[in-house]
Amino acid sequence: MLNLKALNFSFVRSAVLFIILFVSSISFAQRSEDLIPKDAVTVFSINNFTLLQKISLDDLVKYEFMEEVQQELFDGSTSGKTMKDSGIDFDQKLNVFYGKGDEYEVSGFTFGIKNKADLFQVFDDFEQIESPYEGVEFYGSYFNNLIIKGNSALLIRVEPTMEKVDAATDSIWYARGNENPFDTYGLDEEENKEDVFEEEMPEESDIDSYNVPSLGEDPNQKNYYELRDSVQVVMQAAFLDKLCTELLIRKVNLVNYDNRFAQQLTHESEGIFYLDNSRSLQNAQGLWYFETMFPTLYEDIKELYTGNVMLGDLILHESSVEFKMEARYGPELGSIYEKMNDSKFDKHVLKYINKNNTAYFTYNVDMREAYEQAYKVIMPILTDEKNVQISTNVLTIELLNEFINKDALFNTYKGSMFGTFNGIKKIKTTKIEFSYDEETFEYIEKEVEAEEDLPIFTLGFTTDRGDIPEKVLNHLSRLTSRFKNKGNYWVYEDAILEAAPLYMLNKNGLFIFTNDEDLAVNHSDGYGAEALSRTEAKKSKKSGFMYGYIDWAKAIEKFPRDFFDERENEIIDAMRGKTGAMHLTTSETTKEKTTFELIYSFEGSYENSGKYLLDLLNSIYVMSK
Amino acid sequence: MKNVFYLLFISLTFTLSSCIEIIDDIAIKNDGSGTFKYTVNLSSSKIKINSILALDSLEGRRVPSLEEIQQKVAAFKSKLEGKPGISNVTLEENYNEYIFKLKCDFTNISALQNALKEVIQEESKEKNIAELEHTWLSWDGQKMGRSVPEFTIKKTKEFKQEEIDRLKEGNYTSISRFERPVEKFDNPSAVLSSNKLAVMIKTNPFVLSQNADVLENTIYLSPLKN
Repeated sequence: MLNLKALNFSFVRSAVLFIILFVSSISFAQRSEDLIPKDAVTVFSINNFTLLQKISLDDLVKYEFMEEVQQELFDGSTSGKTMKDSGIDFDQKLNVFYGKGDEYEVSGFTFGIKNKADLFQVFDDFEQIESPYEGVEFYGSYFNNLIIKGNSALLIRVEPTMEKVDAATDSIWYARGNENPFDTYGLDEEENKEDVFEEEMPEESDIDSYNVPSLGEDPNQKNYYELRDSVQVVMQAAFLDKLCTELLIRKVNLVNYDNRFAQQLTHESEGIFYLDNSRSLQNAQGLWYFETMFPTLYEDIKELYTGNVMLGDLILHESSVEFKMEARYGPELGSIYEKMNDSKFDKHVLKYINKNNTAYFTYNVDMREAYEQAYKVIMPILTDEKNVQISTNVLTIELLNEFINKDALFNTYKGSMFGTFNGIKKIKTTKIEFSYDEETFEYIEKEVEAEEDLPIFTLGFTTDRGDIPEKVLNHLSRLTSRFKNKGNYWVYEDAILEAAPLYMLNKNGLFIFTNDEDLAVNHSDGYGAEALSRTEAKKSKKSGFMYGYIDWAKAIEKFPRDFFDERENEIIDAMRGKTGAMHLTTSETTKEKTTFELIYSFEGSYENSGKYLLDLLNSIYVMSK
Repeated sequence: MKNVFYLLFISLTFTLSSCIEIIDDIAIKNDGSGTFKYTVNLSSSKIKINSILALDSLEGRRVPSLEEIQQKVAAFKSKLEGKPGISNVTLEENYNEYIFKLKCDFTNISALQNALKEVIQEESKEKNIAELEHTWLSWDGQKMGRSVPEFTIKKTKEFKQEEIDRLKEGNYTSISRFERPVEKFDNPSAVLSSNKLAVMIKTNPFVLSQNADVLENTIYLSPLKN
């Protein structure tokens, strides 16, 4: 009996111990996302497990964007090897991140490790460095650093901002009593100008003049560029140390720094996206002037953007790809968006969208409400600023607000609009031909009619004051004979690229610009039965402030090939012949958020949507390279 | 939004086909002096050119502004004016239709060739352009020889299929004029004017780029009457 009791006790103790160990392993196991530094402003996190259930790794590594990742990982030193051989744990998430702060830029990715020996077979350019952090292995290559903690790794590059590097270099350079370094090589402004027509390599003699020190130069003294390189290296090490101390000792990472990101990571979608707009704004280069000249105003603007973040989910279905994006913002900015987007849908636009359009969008906002709310929110911020320039601007805005007839202004331009792309059509134009006299072969110029293909666009705005644009058009028609009133529409000859006419329709509470002669001449009151179907119209009406549609199959045929090189065109060609449609819908805008949903539904010979998605991603990647 | 609309519009105009017309017209007097006319007609591509000029860059290369093109064209004219044996240089530029007409008088064929070679070399970033060694015009008072260097054949190998298709849509016309009647010529593609004072060959830029011999011609003139 006792023995049985002892056995039972021993079993129970073992079971409890096992459960404790199991729970501990779940709770405390290192996850790749725990190594994302809090400096990351943008993160794209791929749930590898879900993705790889559908995509074979052998297929995955064939993609060009994966080749690049491999190059980054393996530094080109292990040709022929694939991710499969890399020892990476595909059960953990792969998190790609980027961020730019005042002092430095970080980029890299974090991933799980399954087999460290395999990892270093391919990471052979990395050399181990003595780690100042307990339980952390540190490796370095020329540009990158590999940090391993537990079964997760962080591949990171830290680059000090050029402003910081230049400031420190200049300070040391001038403190040493040196002259302006940019006159050193005798390059005047004219020589430094970018060549207008071609880029060319510098002449060999030019290169020599950069590298060979002059006779008067002290060989033990660094020149400006060498000094800058040294400053950069020192700063790089200092900022990496700062980042690592925070991440590895203080254990502050993006997951525990931003709860919204942590929440997003719990989603079971195939990929998640995070962009902290508020930090993006703080680090925007263009705002340095504001920051320097109007620090209080800058702080107020920062405050206005607090909480501004984009959170996205990528979801794969068998015959569609869904991208959900939530735009979150603070209450003050949210109040402006809420007022702006609380607008009644203008159903007149629907009759001007042909059911066969390749692409179209509707945009439904109330500019008057947005203006009034923005005035309420922004003016107090501006008024508080004790600066002559700002005060003058505030007074100007206040006077304009009093004197301008806002009813006339916002009834003319209400804010709602629509746009369509009607494909490529032949338009009539002229060209010059030379005709030859058979007797002498002398030739004279002759203007002949020609036809050229032109993309057909329509852009229309909702207006309650059609009389105001009509006044402008009447005035313009008196100034130039190229402006003509044709009754139902106006035409401006040779308006587009000096070759094609632009038509303007001012009817049914809409002011429409188009180069579609058929719309202007034959459908000035709308397409009637050829307009959007009720189902499509309903989708547009039901969407929030914006709705968009693209017929991918038709659009891809019209891709401007000249923009891409041969290799890129091969990818585009591979996408041809596949049918599909993209729908963009938006939710109702609240003070806290607006949700955007992009759904790409397709038919085709693909095995699954994951492969289709990767084809798409690859196309975008190749195009954006 | 307006910018997006414009950008979309600009980008889609690149789907357009376009073509070029070139007229290369040389008139030689009995004393070897003459007039050279070179006309480039891009009027059937004006939408495309306007689209390109509206861009900052294309295929990773900066697109020059209209002013920069005008400066470059003016520099070409100015350099040509300064060359020995060249006079009365005129350049008509029509930027509405994109038609450019260069005209100059020359004292002899060598002066014309040397002047053009030097200006092309000066304007080019490339040093020692091998194709410029080629003699494309010859004249001995009785016969005139014309040929084209193989430069273009090499260049077109780098072209994309779409660009080649566009070259096929273009026209290249070469005219040789004289003060006395033409007796005969070698190139079977050439035609003689009714007054027998001019020989013309018409082809397209693609054929020319693939076979420089298509313009190769030796034109024999009737003997000079005393």
